[in-house]
Order: sequence, then structure tokens, then C-alpha cells
Amino acid sequence: MAPTHTSHAPSMEKLVKSLKGQPLEASIDAFIYLLKRRQVKGDDCAGATAHILRQVVAKSKWHDVEQLLFKVQSVGSRLVGAAPHEPVIGNIVRRVLGLIRDEASEERNAEDEFGSESASDIQTLAQVTGPPPAARPAPTPLARPPTLATAASFHASKSKSMFNLLSVVDAASAPLTAASTPLSQAAHTSINSLRPEVLDGIEEILDEINQADDQIAGFADIQIHPGDYVLAYLPSRTVERFLIKAASRRKFTVLFVSLEDSRSAAGEGAHAALRKKLDAHGVNTISLASNGLMAYMSRINKVVFSAKVVYQNGGLLVDSGASVAAQAAKAHSKPVIALGGVYKFCPEDPSDEIAGETGDSSTYVSYADGLKVDALEVENTVADYVPPELVDVYLTNLGPQTRHHLAAILADHYKAEDVGFSLIPGEV
Amino acid sequence: MSSKQSGRVAAASKSKKSGKSSTDEKAEDVLQAVVIADSFQDRFKPFTLEKPRCLLPLAGVPIIEYTLEALAANGVQEVYIYCGAHSEEIDNYIHESARFNPTSIISPFSTLELIRVTDATSVGDFLRDLDKRAIVSGDFIVVHGDLVTNVPLADALAKHKKRREANRDACMTMVLRSIGVEPHRAAKSRVIQPIFVVGLDDGRCLQYDELLPGESFDLDMSIPGEDYEIRADLIDCGIDICTLDILALWSESFDYELPRRNFLHGVLKDWELNGKMIYTEILDEGYACRASNLKLYDCITKDIIGRWAFPIVPESNFVHGQTFKRTMEGSCFEDGVITARGSSVKSSIIGSHSSVGDKTAVHSSVIGRRCKIGKNVTIKESYIWDDVTIEDGATIEHSIIANSAAIGKGVRVPNGTLISFRVRVGDGQKLPENPPARISLLTEGKMPSPTDASLVGPEGIGSLYQEPVDEDEDEEDDQKVRAAALEENSLMYSLGHLSLSSLSISTLASQDAYDSDGESNISGSPGPGVSSPGRLSPFEPDAFHGDAVHGLVDALRADDNEDFDSAKLEFMGLRLANNASDASMRRAIAVAFAHRAAELMSPEHGGLEPTKAAERAFTAKKGAVKFISEVGVGGDSKMLQAEFALALQKALLGIKGLEVLRAGALLAAMLQQLYNLDVLEEDGILTWWADKRAGEDDNLNKVKEKCRVLVDWLENADEEDDDDDEDEDDSD
Repeated sequence: MAPTHTSHAPSMEKLVKSLKGQPLEASIDAFIYLLKRRQVKGDDCAGATAHILRQVVAKSKWHDVEQLLFKVQSVGSRLVGAAPHEPVIGNIVRRVLGLIRDEASEERNAEDEFGSESASDIQTLAQVTGPPPAARPAPTPLARPPTLATAASFHASKSKSMFNLLSVVDAASAPLTAASTPLSQAAHTSINSLRPEVLDGIEEILDEINQADDQIAGFADIQIHPGDYVLAYLPSRTVERFLIKAASRRKFTVLFVSLEDSRSAAGEGAHAALRKKLDAHGVNTISLASNGLMAYMSRINKVVFSAKVVYQNGGLLVDSGASVAAQAAKAHSKPVIALGGVYKFCPEDPSDEIAGETGDSSTYVSYADGLKVDALEVENTVADYVPPELVDVYLTNLGPQTRHHLAAILADHYKAEDVGFSLIPGEV
Repeated sequence: MSSKQSGRVAAASKSKKSGKSSTDEKAEDVLQAVVIADSFQDRFKPFTLEKPRCLLPLAGVPIIEYTLEALAANGVQEVYIYCGAHSEEIDNYIHESARFNPTSIISPFSTLELIRVTDATSVGDFLRDLDKRAIVSGDFIVVHGDLVTNVPLADALAKHKKRREANRDACMTMVLRSIGVEPHRAAKSRVIQPIFVVGLDDGRCLQYDELLPGESFDLDMSIPGEDYEIRADLIDCGIDICTLDILALWSESFDYELPRRNFLHGVLKDWELNGKMIYTEILDEGYACRASNLKLYDCITKDIIGRWAFPIVPESNFVHGQTFKRTMEGSCFEDGVITARGSSVKSSIIGSHSSVGDKTAVHSSVIGRRCKIGKNVTIKESYIWDDVTIEDGATIEHSIIANSAAIGKGVRVPNGTLISFRVRVGDGQKLPENPPARISLLTEGKMPSPTDASLVGPEGIGSLYQEPVDEDEDEEDDQKVRAAALEENSLMYSLGHLSLSSLSISTLASQDAYDSDGESNISGSPGPGVSSPGRLSPFEPDAFHGDAVHGLVDALRADDNEDFDSAKLEFMGLRLANNASDASMRRAIAVAFAHRAAELMSPEHGGLEPTKAAERAFTAKKGAVKFISEVGVGGDSKMLQAEFALALQKALLGIKGLEVLRAGALLAAMLQQLYNLDVLEEDGILTWWADKRAGEDDNLNKVKEKCRVLVDWLENADEEDDDDDEDEDDSD
């Protein structure tokens, strides 16, 4: 019998299954406690947040866009407050807020034949940009024809290569203002059509989140060359896919770094499945303890790890210890590749509070060790901050990016007025 | 009889989680839990005069919140809370709680019922009541209302289910946390030492006993199974996964009161009659502990601050309305906390709208909500609940101060003080240190007590809380039980308790069934059980003497090159624990060395000559000689030296199987050895020789006579430098 079936413990899967059957408030609260108990964490937060927000849009009562925005804002700020250590939740809330604003202005545009000046500006821009020249087709089916301004820029961004990305940078400020102006009139919008549109939009965000890892893996053979020595720091799901995809095309060597050198046996066990898969493709794997990392650095061609969040200055929030790897790489002038879907790009600046999150003391010192429990103050920092100058390439589902393009990507995905949404006091 | 109280069961439509999924799941798959919210104990008095234990705040949160959250985290659907005393308060709390209120749509439980059994006097009554009600079906979890845990129980539940399906008599699984053999603060915090005898291969619990300090463990030789461990390194977190059979067992034995001491012990003892099997699930990871006395309350709070119970940390804000955030230096503040610039707060938790004054130092403490802490206050390892005012210049060390109490200017609150609700201590008062005061407004009978102005000052309110005296204790156990109860009620760690637990366990009933290696984890099978019964039998059964001699002899026997220091430390620990007199120490040491020397002369150990045996006994271990001269003799005076020689003489006579004449020879050899090692001086030995007690009876005289040669030689040693005499010492 599968352990998931016998287990009574709540999980996100169970919650998603029961979403329809229970009141909205119960779902939100259940999710908040899943976050607090760390029963949902890391990369699963983004998708889970989208699921919950879809319920908010679908189930809550609202009569105009303002009300809907307020609902999403207040639920969003509760979720962010429940898990301040997972900034990606805030990203998804902002994406949904932006989506609602877009859809609302679209509705308004559809009613108003003339359209606002700024909107038509982008329209022309979108037409100029035209179909994306990048060979990879947009993975998510386009819900609407690309003539609609904001939607076009939104979707175009998904398949953008570095080449045409630069062209958007100039107009980056335009969609920000364009979407914010028409709100006052949006009240007239018929909410009947708005709801399914927004729900579809959230569905697309979910698709984007789910497919991000595969899309990132699609760039693996560009990044990894035959004969490379790749250092993977605490390989996450994203890094795993990336490496396996690369292994199917290239012959190279992977060095795994596990965090706990004292429990190396357990660490190897964790990556055993991945190592087996890589072995099957003929890729050599080597396990390292994190303290031996510097010695190998001269032999290594590139360092790969996944980001929890990419801040607007280009800094990363990563699993603790990855910062050391990045610094070692910098000292040896080796490129550092940070993997992470665009949904991890966060329009905030890094703060001490988040990077300084401390976790379970018993990760490093067993609680059974009475003398140490009494004598030691254990600080288990679960996350590290990697300053932007240590990162060379951000490999997203839209392709490789550099620090200079972050502003453009952020501008494409978030509305300026949603950046500080969690500060707006909300009540539900 | 028993009345059911306010079972406001959530409407079926609101039993959300089960709502949809239950259609394809069997009814049995709904997980049920019983919370025992009354412990029928006095350990938290005087606080529990006014509030039940499960509502006392631990790290700013009522303890029951931790318990209910743990149940919710494990997907429990139906919860039954049994309460006795203070049931109204618990009822109010639950119904005012935003989350656990049974009518709340956000409640993680589909059912939450409070059951009040008015005439219950023990946990046993609760469980017998539960049996009558027939509300539980299938497997259910029994926990206490003071449990703090982050352990996922899914594994234990699955194993229990598997065992039950394989054998219907596997009716209970206890979840225990291993804490290792090192002195752990959770182990020091408990007074009663639980001993589990656990089967090595299947984790079946074979015997259970509880030891009070100073008691020794009796291994039941009739227990089933081949290989088992005797474990004293376990925290009993009071989480039991039960089947209905357990309730039937409770009902059958109507006199069982305590789930462990009575029930578990009894069921295991009578396993041949009832055929029931109880298993253990021993955790090596995760956090689980019960705040079952003040010291454990202290320990758990420290663990939460130290993040050992993660994600149970203040900034997780598990209770609605909490706004804790982690700050620098390991502290957590809620919104609205004001700390003056000159203050220092380390490793502490401060609730909302509390203020801390200038130059005030707070360390490893918890401060509740809306507290006012003045200037120049020192607060160390203390737990201060809500709405407390502490005026300038007060010092508070390792104490608990309950809601709305007020501490005046410059008051010193020493280690272990308990200040109950609304007590007011006037300016400048110095509270007593030993024993620390327990101040309350109420007496044992919950009547207002008259203010004791000498204690709390003229403007103060409150008086010493008086412990009720129990008369109906058994005569012999009386003192031990009362001492243990006192210990349970105290926040202070007493030194004596620390060194006890591991030693007392190794002293099995047959006195020497196993070699005690100082660890509390002894494996064995019944085979080698009684190897040499009564080998140390001449020792009187007094706890100190037996344990001390045991420890020393073991240290002397050990083959390793370890210093004697650890044995010395253990010995001193025992001495402190038992408050042993110098004389009994001397006797113990003499007996130990005499025993060792006699042992070396026996054929199994090489049959050494008396001289060799004496030399080996004293010098084989580094530091042993120093130990004798410092602790055994205890000074330079000839009286003390004579006393030690006398003790040695008596000890040798007491050894079974050693003829008097050989004892005499050995005594002479030992005395000479001690003389050579500068432990005993000429004067000392001569004083002993002259002492009347050394020749009181026949045997003593015979032994003494054997030393005449030595004494003669000593007397003449100054005048004649004669070597010839030395050879004669050995002549038997």
C-alpha cells in the first residue's frame, strides 16, 4: 500500500482534491497551516498559491474589479504573512493581481471601441515585435489572439529570446501605466465574463509553473558542453531535470555537493535516484562534501543551482551553502548558472529577515545528544543570499537571461501598483 | 454520574475534509483522538488552583494549542477532550478559539467534543467512561493535554495497523522519544524514571516500571522473548495509538488509575492472563515531550526558543492573532513590543504591547503580552505571563510569574520562585531562597488566603502556598514519595537527582546480575541473569552503600587505563544525593578495596599472594591512592587514619569465603601497602592498634594479631633500620 494512501497527514494533494467540497475560508486556513507546518514548502508553494487564488476568484462574492482585487490582496497578504520565508507566494499573488487588472482593462477596451492611447501604443509595439523569432514555440496555448495588447506582450514574453527582449526594455514602463489608468472605469465591466477570463489566466499561470522545469531543461544542451565538469549544489527538482535532459544529449561529469558532510551516507541516498538516472545515460557522478568544494573548483567548468527567488537587484535566495559555492566559483572565475522559472522573479529587494530564516536546530545536532543540546546555541540558516555579482546567467523558462534584463522581465510580469500589495491592510 | 457537556458537534456539512473523500474511504479511516486535559496532579500548583494545566501559557501559547495543532498536523478528524477540574474554563477557551471552535468553518477537525466526567478522580475513570460511550471505533490516538510535538505519526499508525491486522492482540503502540545516554535536560527534568523493557526485533514492550530516585529496577525474569533491551533513555511522550481492546482492558481493571504506572505495568505483568501485546515506537528524530511538571515546562520552553521543536517556533504563529517575528540574537517579538535603547534582550520571547525599560537585561526568558518591565531589571530564564508589572531594579531568576502579578522596586526573586495570579510583592522585598517561595492569593481549598506582610511587604498581597499533607501514603515509601512529589513541584533542578538515574538502574534485584557500565542502556537475555547471587551480599541494603561500593568495585575491576577520577566523581555524586556521612563514605571505600583485594586472592582471579593482591588493589588504578587518602581517610589526623584502618579491618572480616587468618594476612599487607604509599602514617596505624574497638571480639582479635609483626616493625622502625622484618610480614 502506498504510504500516501495510508497516511492521514494533510498534504497539498489532499487539499487540492477537497477544494471544491469545502468552504473557501477553510481551504485558505488549511493552506496557511500547511505552510506554517512546512508541509508545503519550496517549489511547491507557487503552484499551491495559484490553486488557492483560483478558489478565491471562483468562490468569493464580488461585484466589481475593485472588490475582486481587494479580496485577492487580502488573502494574498495573509498567505505571505504565513510564510514570509517563501517570497514566491507573493510573486504569484502579484501575477494574479496583474492578471485581473489586465483582464479588466481588456474588457473595458472591448466595450470602448476607441481604446486608450497608451493601450494602442503597446498594441503597435506588440505587432512590431511580431511572432517570436525564437525557434521554441510557446508551450502554453494562447488563449486569445495576440492582437490584444497586454495579453500579447504577456505571452510573447514567454518565448522571447535575448534578442527581442532588448526591444521591450524601451517600452517597459508603458504597460505599467497602461494597465493602471483604466481602473476607475473598470467598474462597469461585466463581471460575468471577467470571472472565467481570470480563471483561465490563473490556469495559464499554473501551466507555466508546471512546465517551467521542463522548459528550463530544454536549454540544457546549450549550457552544458561535452566533457564539462558541472558542479550541482544540492540538486533540486529543477536542477535534476536539467541534468537529466543534458545527459541525454551530452557526455559530461557531475559533481554533487551535499550539505551535511557528517551524514554523507544519508546525503548520497537522497541523490541516489538521480545518480542512477545519470549513470544510465553514461554521465559520471561524483559526490563531494561541501567543505571539499573549493579544492575541486579549479577542475570545474560551471556551477549550477536553483534559486528559490530572484530579487529585482539580481540577487538570489538559495538553499544554505550555495552562496559558498558561488563565491568559490567567483574566486576561480567559473560561471555560475542559476536556474529558476520566471515566476520566481520577485519585484522586491532582499531583506535580512528572509535570508536570515533559521530552521530546525536538530538538523545538525541530534536532540538526543544531551550535552550539546545544553551547551550549544544552534543556528541553522536554511537559506542563503547570493549577491548579484556572483551570478553569471539566469536560466529561466524563457531562456538564458543576464542581470540587465531582469527589470524588463519584472515589468512584463508585474504591475507597479501590486509590488507592495502585502502592505495593504486587508480583511476577509 | 457523568454529564456530557456542550457537545456542539459541527454540522455534517462542515465536516469538510471527510466530506468528499469519505465516500470512497471506509468509516474506519477517520482518525480519532482523545485528549486527556486533566492530569489529577498537583505539580503545577499554585497556578492550577485557578487555571487548568493545559491552558497555562508555554512560550506565550496555552499548552493545549500545541496538542491540538499536533493532532491537526497528523490529520486527526475527530477529537474528544476529556476534562475534569476547570472544565468550564477549557470549554470557554475552546469555544472562544477562532480555530478550534467546533462551529468554526476553519476548524481542522470535523468533530471536537468536550466531555466532562464530574466524578472522575483519575485518568482511568476517563478511559472507562470512554469505553461506555462507544464513540470511538477502530484505531484512535490518546494524548495528554500538555503534549508538545512535531512528530508525524503516520509511520507509527501504519505499523500499528499492520501489527493489529496480523494479530488482534496487538492492541496498543506507545510513541517514545529516545534521548541518548548523555545527561539530557529532559531526563534531568523528570523525577520518576520510566524503565521500558523492549524486545529488540519487534519493539514489543515486555516490562514497564517507574523508579523514584534511589529505587532500583527489578527485572522480571518471566518476561517472554529472547532478546530485549532495558531502556531508561526514553521520554514517554504519552502518545498511545490504541484499539478498542485497550478500553475493554481499562474497564476490566476498575482500580487502575494511571495509564503507565498502573495500567501498562499491570497489563504487561499479566500478559499471560490477558494475552494482550503492547508495542513501542521509538523515535530518533523529531520532538515530543509532555510538560508534565515545572521542570519539563522549563525544558520545553528552552527547546522551543532553541528551535529544537521546529516548526513549533514562535514566529510560526500557530495561534490566530499572533504576530511574532524573529529578531536578531535569537529572540522573537510580537507587534507593538517596545524595548528601550539601552536594554538587551537575548534568546527570549516577548508578547505584544509589552515594554522593556532602559538598561534592562532579559535572557532566555518569556515575557507575555502587555507586560511592563521597568529600568535596570534583570530577568534570567524566567517565564512571565501576561499583564505583569515589574518595577525598576528588580531581579528575577529562573522563576515563573503568573498573570497580573506585580513585582515592586528592587525586589529580588530568587531561583525557583513561583508567583501566582494577581500577587503583589511590595518594594524592596527579598523573597526567601531556600526553599524558594510559592506565593498565591488562594489556599489549597481555593479560599482567599490572608496576606503575609512579612513575605510580600506592607503594600503587597499574597501568602505562601501551603502544600497539603497526604496521610494515606504507605509507611515505608512515604518519605521517598513525598520527596519525589516535592521534586516534581519544583522548578529548580536539585543536584542530587542528576547522578542517580543511571546508577540505580544498574543495581538489579540480585545486586549483581550485570556489570554496570554506567550506561542506562543494558542489553541482555535472561540467561546470565543470576550469575553469582549474593557475592556482595554482606553489604547492607542501604541505597548509598550498595551503589557506592558497586561503583568503586566496578571501577577497580575495569581493565581500561581510565583514570579513577570518573569513579570518584560518581562516588561524590552519590554521596551528595544520599547525604551520606563521612563514616559511611569511609566504610564504603574500605569495603570496596577490601573486596577487590580479596577477589584478587581468589583462584579465579589468579590467586595472588596477599602482598601482591594488596598492591594490585591499590595501585592498579591511577588516582585510586589519592582517592583513598582524600576521601576515604579524609585528613592527616591520626584519629581519622585509625578509623580507616578499623573500617578496613571490619570490611575484610565481612567478606564471605575468606578465612579469618587469610583476612588477617591481607589486612597486614594492605596496611603496609598504605603505609608505603604514604596514606597511613605510623602514628595512625599505632593509634588503630591501641584502639579498643579493633579487638572487640574474637575474630577481630585474630585478624589484628596478624598485624603484630607490622606494628612491631613500625615501633622499631625509628631506632633500627632493619630490613629483615619485612620478610616476616608475609609469613602466614
